[in-house]
Amino acid sequence: MPNLLVCYKWTLDEQDIKINPADLSLDSSRAKGKISDFDRMALEEAAQIVEKQGGAVDALSYGTPAVKQSLKDVLSRGPNKVYYIADASAEIADGAVTAKVLAAAARKLGGYDLILVGEGSSDAFNQQTGPRLAALLGLPCVSFVAKMTLEGNTLTATRKLADCTEQVTVTTPAVVQVLSEINKPRIPSMKQVLGASKKPSGEIKLADLGLSPQELAPKAVRKSVKGFVMSRKNVIYKESNAEANVQKLVASLAAEGLR
Amino acid sequence: MSYALTEEQLLIGQSARDFAKECLDPIAAELDHSAVYPAEMVKKLAKYDLLSLFLAGEYGGAEAGFVAFVEALEALARSSAAVANIVLNHSIAAWAIEHWGSPEQKQKYLGDLATGEKLGALAFYENGPLPGVGSDALVAKKQEEGWVLNGVKAYVRNAGVAGVYVVLATTDPESQGKALTAFLVDAAATGLKVGEAKETMGLRGCPVAELSFENVILAESAVLGSLDAGTKLAAETLAVYSLGEAALTVGIGQAALEHAAAYSKTRVQFGRPISALHAIQTMLAETATDTHVARIALRDAAQLFEEGKPFAVEAAMVKQFLARFGSKMLLDTCQVEGGFGYSEFMPLPRLFRDIAGTTLLEAPAEFPDKTIAAALLA
Amino acid sequence: MAGVFVFSEDLALARQLLTPALELKASLGEPLVALTTSEAGAKELAALGADRAIWLKTEAAPEQLALALADLLGKEQASVVLVGGTLRGKHVASQVAARLDAAMATDAKTLKIADGKLEITRVLYAGLAVAEEVLVLPAVATVPARTFLPPSAVAQAGAVETVELAGDARVTITAVTATGNEGVDISAASMLVSIGRGFRKQDDVKLAADLAGAIKAELACTRGIAEDEHWLPIERYIGISGQTVKPELYLAVGLSGQVQHMVGCRESKLIVAVNNDERAPIFEAADYGIVGDLYQVLPLLTAALKN
Repeated sequence: MPNLLVCYKWTLDEQDIKINPADLSLDSSRAKGKISDFDRMALEEAAQIVEKQGGAVDALSYGTPAVKQSLKDVLSRGPNKVYYIADASAEIADGAVTAKVLAAAARKLGGYDLILVGEGSSDAFNQQTGPRLAALLGLPCVSFVAKMTLEGNTLTATRKLADCTEQVTVTTPAVVQVLSEINKPRIPSMKQVLGASKKPSGEIKLADLGLSPQELAPKAVRKSVKGFVMSRKNVIYKESNAEANVQKLVASLAAEGLR
Repeated sequence: MSYALTEEQLLIGQSARDFAKECLDPIAAELDHSAVYPAEMVKKLAKYDLLSLFLAGEYGGAEAGFVAFVEALEALARSSAAVANIVLNHSIAAWAIEHWGSPEQKQKYLGDLATGEKLGALAFYENGPLPGVGSDALVAKKQEEGWVLNGVKAYVRNAGVAGVYVVLATTDPESQGKALTAFLVDAAATGLKVGEAKETMGLRGCPVAELSFENVILAESAVLGSLDAGTKLAAETLAVYSLGEAALTVGIGQAALEHAAAYSKTRVQFGRPISALHAIQTMLAETATDTHVARIALRDAAQLFEEGKPFAVEAAMVKQFLARFGSKMLLDTCQVEGGFGYSEFMPLPRLFRDIAGTTLLEAPAEFPDKTIAAALLA
Repeated sequence: MAGVFVFSEDLALARQLLTPALELKASLGEPLVALTTSEAGAKELAALGADRAIWLKTEAAPEQLALALADLLGKEQASVVLVGGTLRGKHVASQVAARLDAAMATDAKTLKIADGKLEITRVLYAGLAVAEEVLVLPAVATVPARTFLPPSAVAQAGAVETVELAGDARVTITAVTATGNEGVDISAASMLVSIGRGFRKQDDVKLAADLAGAIKAELACTRGIAEDEHWLPIERYIGISGQTVKPELYLAVGLSGQVQHMVGCRESKLIVAVNNDERAPIFEAADYGIVGDLYQVLPLLTAALKN
């Protein structure tokens, strides 16, 4: 029966982030955390595999100490156990550091048939973690998966690319990066929420992963972050007479040289 | 006492909110329009354990506690107060059975109520001024074995869709409503008729109707609690009910606030969004304050109840506060939206009519100030 | 040896990559090397300013080349590797970065060298913010299609080399099916009519199709329409994990304009919105808009624009 690991990220909910109009700085002081949107599909896919054919799912996350807020949330979505690395270094970790930490933790835990990740994190959306993780662990990587089935140690997957779909097979263990269209993540039922408290969680200390300070130094550093401000004409026609609105719009489009 | 919710309570609220956004938002307007009981939605609610949130685990309940229940109700009400009202009436009926029921009654009903196989309903009110008083008051007459019930119960929510009713009847029509007893009546009971559904102003989709009893024969075991203890049972049940109803009010207020705040930022008058106007800011700020204060007070009362402590005074305070400010939230938010929000296809009119249902109906009749003053001056 | 390297399996994108790469080459004073998977492509890139163009001669799919490519780039001591930001490209870039233990940025919108490091800008939080990031060298960056125009041909074409690469066969491709998107590349369309949840049923999409027909636009949609309703193929969905477009006209109908969607279309020249909810965020993001029922507005607009 398959032994699965799902990596997820605990991110800020971008809907709670406000842009300060004076200097375009971001105010996330009131932003709540959430399981990165796209990681929910990886969690869901793992849950569905195990519901169908048995096995076990572990979840794994590397984050700042705030990652502890995610444990019950993530456990309510299917995994049997969650492991976490809570360390302040995660605040500035880049794709390189994140992949190294997750790879070291996955190696330490060991024995997974599949490691599932989402398409990208909903904050940075770097889309690196899956393929990087595979390269570091020496595992094959199946990216952008829209459909998958696991039979024994053979994974059959449909990859969806810009101009084609690919059917691929791979022998496990492997890393799978799932697309957001692969499934519709469940809303945990109330009993699943409450049941999460009874499931185990395990902390992995960053220091126990055997990574050197050089390995933990980010190679991509954020220099500035500014709110994006869209500047548009905002000419809105809203008379009750739809015909008049349409005429005005057509005139505007003509003035823009479009008709 | 800490007012911080536990992680479970927060997650219950979050999950219920996710459920509401995904399942209720798309149907809320149409449900209000058609007022057709959302049978499929109720099945979904059951699947997510939203019909058994604070029932004990031994009956299949989620055992999440009352605070979590209140959080979930608010989350649902933000999308559809009508659906939240169905959940509320069902849940409180189940609670009454769990609280006062005999082991046999609990065994008989709670399992089905937890799975949603059966819905519960409360049938307390009558057309007369008080239960047991009017000409069509429901009278329970003792037989050699069991009881026979005749009369009418009015304003029964979940009427016609419930499988079991918690019914208040007088055993002595001469007692002027003093000798009241609660009975459990199966929907299938012979002689029980559900009247035509009332066209209500708000909370549409949660059916409301009269129940008429014509020689409805009940076994002795149908008595809930003790004989002639119905007044106390009803008062306590309604106090618990009022907390859930307050959660609906807060949810509706929150929905109106969010809608009006978003609107004020996009509505431009005299070259700037109306959110820049002080008068608009005041109305929004007051609504935000009222919902926040009510929510905190509600959590406090719910926590007391969950801990088994006296909570009636605090519940009355929440009720009194919302009787005063509940409809004001909607008056203010409607004013923010002006003619735009007044259009029937927008959400505010629905919220306005719904909040009338959760704040105006019972508050004057129940006199929460009496409860508060009595405790204060005793 | 060092160098600025570009790689894309998509020749059009590889051409576009040369534009920022030429700037980086000038800043670093290092040669520009183009990698691609066809011989003709390599010749073309050499003619467009690559000092060397390497034809990666292989039967393998780009992803299967990632590790071999990384070894090649390591041997070449690449300073900067720009990869065309297709899905395949992102996979390749991430694995190259991992193998080279290099910094990487996905979807870089601007790139420059400062203080011997690569500085890029990219969006965060589904488009809510823009970040400047500084990457130590060697650095890998993917660049989305159509971010840059291709450079013009140079007088002296660079040298073309051939390198045979063996693919990683652990992932076996058993079948490839061209996507049934009628050969339409949404991201190349100059006008788009994009639809959202305001459409009540699949049949109603015809209203949008009629409008699109009248102005010779393509149809696009939100994630919900493609992924939940399946009313339009997934290739036509605009947004953070879908397509990014920048047409002359983006006509958004019955869609609310959440950031996750808008990040995919906000570089459009002109955005026009039709929505019955005046407070929908789409109006903040629109140049022109009509507040009204799309079922009433669209037929009128279609008729008016037909003439």
